[in-house]
Amino acid sequence: MSLEAFSHSEPLTLGVELELQLVNTHNYDLAPYAEDMLRLMHKTPLPGSVVPEMTNSMIEISTGVCHSTSEVLGQLTPIRDALVKSADKLNIAVAGGGTHPFQMWHERRIYDKPRFQELSQLYGYLSKQFTIFGQHVHIGCPDADAALLMLHRMSRYIPHFIALSASSPYVQGHDTAFDSARLNSVFAFPLSGRAPFVLTWDEFGQFFEKMTRTGVVKSMKDFYWDIRPKPEYGTIEIRVFDTPLTIERAAALAGFVQSLAAWFLVEQPFEPSEDDYLVYTYNRFQACRFGLDAVYVDPATGQHMPLREHILQTLDHIARHAGAHGASGALHVLRGETASGQNDARWLRERMREEQLLAEVSRQAALRFRGSL
Amino acid sequence: MNELLSFWAQWLRPSAGLPTVQWALLLAVAAVAGYLVQRHSGLPKVLGYSLVGTLAGLAGFGGAVWPLQGIGLFLVELAVAVVLFEAGGRIPLRWFRHNPMVLVQSIAESALTCAAVYWAMLWLKVPAPVAAALAMVALAASPAVLTRVVSDTHAAGPVTERAIVLSTLSSLYALTLGSAQAGLIERPAAGLLGQLYPVLVVLGVSVAVGALLSLLMRLALRVMSPTSENTTILLLALIAASTAITAHLGGSAPLAALLGGMLLKQLHPRPWAWPRQMGTASSVLTMMMFVLVSTVAAQGQWSVAVAGSVAALIAVRLAAKAVGVGLGNVGSGASWRQALWVSCAMTPMSAIALLVASQLVLAAGDAGEPIARIALPAILVMELLGAVIAAFAIYRAGESSKPWLDLNRGSNPGESGNES
Repeated sequence: MSLEAFSHSEPLTLGVELELQLVNTHNYDLAPYAEDMLRLMHKTPLPGSVVPEMTNSMIEISTGVCHSTSEVLGQLTPIRDALVKSADKLNIAVAGGGTHPFQMWHERRIYDKPRFQELSQLYGYLSKQFTIFGQHVHIGCPDADAALLMLHRMSRYIPHFIALSASSPYVQGHDTAFDSARLNSVFAFPLSGRAPFVLTWDEFGQFFEKMTRTGVVKSMKDFYWDIRPKPEYGTIEIRVFDTPLTIERAAALAGFVQSLAAWFLVEQPFEPSEDDYLVYTYNRFQACRFGLDAVYVDPATGQHMPLREHILQTLDHIARHAGAHGASGALHVLRGETASGQNDARWLRERMREEQLLAEVSRQAALRFRGSL
Repeated sequence: MNELLSFWAQWLRPSAGLPTVQWALLLAVAAVAGYLVQRHSGLPKVLGYSLVGTLAGLAGFGGAVWPLQGIGLFLVELAVAVVLFEAGGRIPLRWFRHNPMVLVQSIAESALTCAAVYWAMLWLKVPAPVAAALAMVALAASPAVLTRVVSDTHAAGPVTERAIVLSTLSSLYALTLGSAQAGLIERPAAGLLGQLYPVLVVLGVSVAVGALLSLLMRLALRVMSPTSENTTILLLALIAASTAITAHLGGSAPLAALLGGMLLKQLHPRPWAWPRQMGTASSVLTMMMFVLVSTVAAQGQWSVAVAGSVAALIAVRLAAKAVGVGLGNVGSGASWRQALWVSCAMTPMSAIALLVASQLVLAAGDAGEPIARIALPAILVMELLGAVIAAFAIYRAGESSKPWLDLNRGSNPGESGNES
């Protein structure tokens, strides 16, 4: 099977997908209401789409094609409000966060859709452990080769994305000591991790053809890479973000990606190389484990520095481009929170310290998602 | 049976009294039966408990007296109160603001059940006061049976949740109106105020005790963790105390607990963590309740003559609940298929119906006998059959975490088959 052609998209356009938790209002465990939510949501005309996810306590919302952070927020807001209204009608709640803090994976049920059932057959219990919640950001690229170049440049900033969005410190009722434990679940899948280092679409097509010949993959959907090209949209898709606790932070993270991409396109600040990946897994681990307190190893120089410092430097580099795309406000918020070491994982831990009950942490996370806290 | 028991009583003189030994052994047998029923048929454990109680009742076991009174009455009231307190805590009043159709659905199914059973009984030439009492008994669905079935099947989802809420609300109506009706029988009144008086007494006392119960729990939760074992013990102790007090003051103990749960949910919207802690204590209490209810219900006078009335009551009740749930389903956020399974999950009748029946029979004096003649077999059949229908509905709605048929063959790959 050959790789499909890379569609045209307007460079630097944005698309955001958010996987969300459906929880009951009794003990705030995950609740299997995806089908009911979809039925109610289809009655409301909205931008973007609302679709089911792997297990039936999850739902995925996405924006249409956006040009700026404010447009992303402008589309996410009515979707969020409609979700909250539907949830109120069903007596459940919707929450962000990369993991549900205390759900038990074996209690999950696979959503009744052929692809999910096939994946469940193939991956066994891994598919139920895939009850994790991420944010995906698509960024429009001028052409296929530019997309691969952008993909490998973006790879240097994977730790930044992880630390800024981390919101999954609790798994199965325990503090994992990771800020983002979600990505450990993704790593269990055989086709996860990084994309191969090729910089032309022809070479990528050859790689894809070889992979399909082995029978291991059938389409691009079978790759669970941290960043992957999305030829049908003409974008690359960054998939390492935990779903933040608020749509405002989700929009701000999209603004960060857009500003970085603008910096890459306008200034061509560096050339990626295969050696960048020597420290990739280490940096990724550091960001998952320690969040904004991680150590970052610069792939080009080998210099060790606090990740927080490198994020602040990066924000300085992209400030001009953020201004040009209306993302200055969003990046200002990210800067403040980075400087103070605040991310959603820390917020969750602070709530837990205060409340001593993970179910209450979930309730407050749901209130935060609806904008009531 | 009685000769055997009297011989045993003379031969064995245990320190805690023979009834204690008899009950302990009966519960032991029920525990084994419940386990075996679920292990080998996939049916809910409550079916095993009720079967043992039924056999004991039919064999003339005299450990439970009809109409309910004394320690038997207290145990049933306490177990029902524990279940209803927890079920009441699942009903946030704000839900009815966002989805008033759920309330409409509840009122529709309860009103229709009450009216349909009343008219059906009149049609079968049952005297009007008896028909009215039976209508009240038929009104109550059983959150106790349903929550045990849910626990056995590890179920969760829209059908499960709505069936529990609608069953709880039907219990609220049955307990209020049933107690009021019993009050009216005892003190017939001509004027409107006179007729309202019993309702106001039952409601007033139950609300007051329920409010006190919720306030005390609210205060306790300021300093105690809901996951602490001590919080659970405190909760059980408070419910036990309120159960003893409420009936003495003229209110309904289960109603007070139900209102207490609902009020606490309003005062304290935080997650309810103690049901997990209640665990075995609550299970023993509810198991005892099922055995007791079926033992008592099996003591009814079974005859072919009343079989038609019993069958009619059951059939009309099933149909009325299905139509009522269906009527109120429009705009309530549930599909028609879900509405069907909700109405099926609401079919069990058990302890609450028995409490209402017992209250009405006691109040009616000599006229109580015809009420019991139809009510007791109906309750017994719908405790057994209702549990099976509810389990089937939950499986068919796809809300059980484990498959029914695979219980015998080991669990399916990828599906959980944990024993609770």
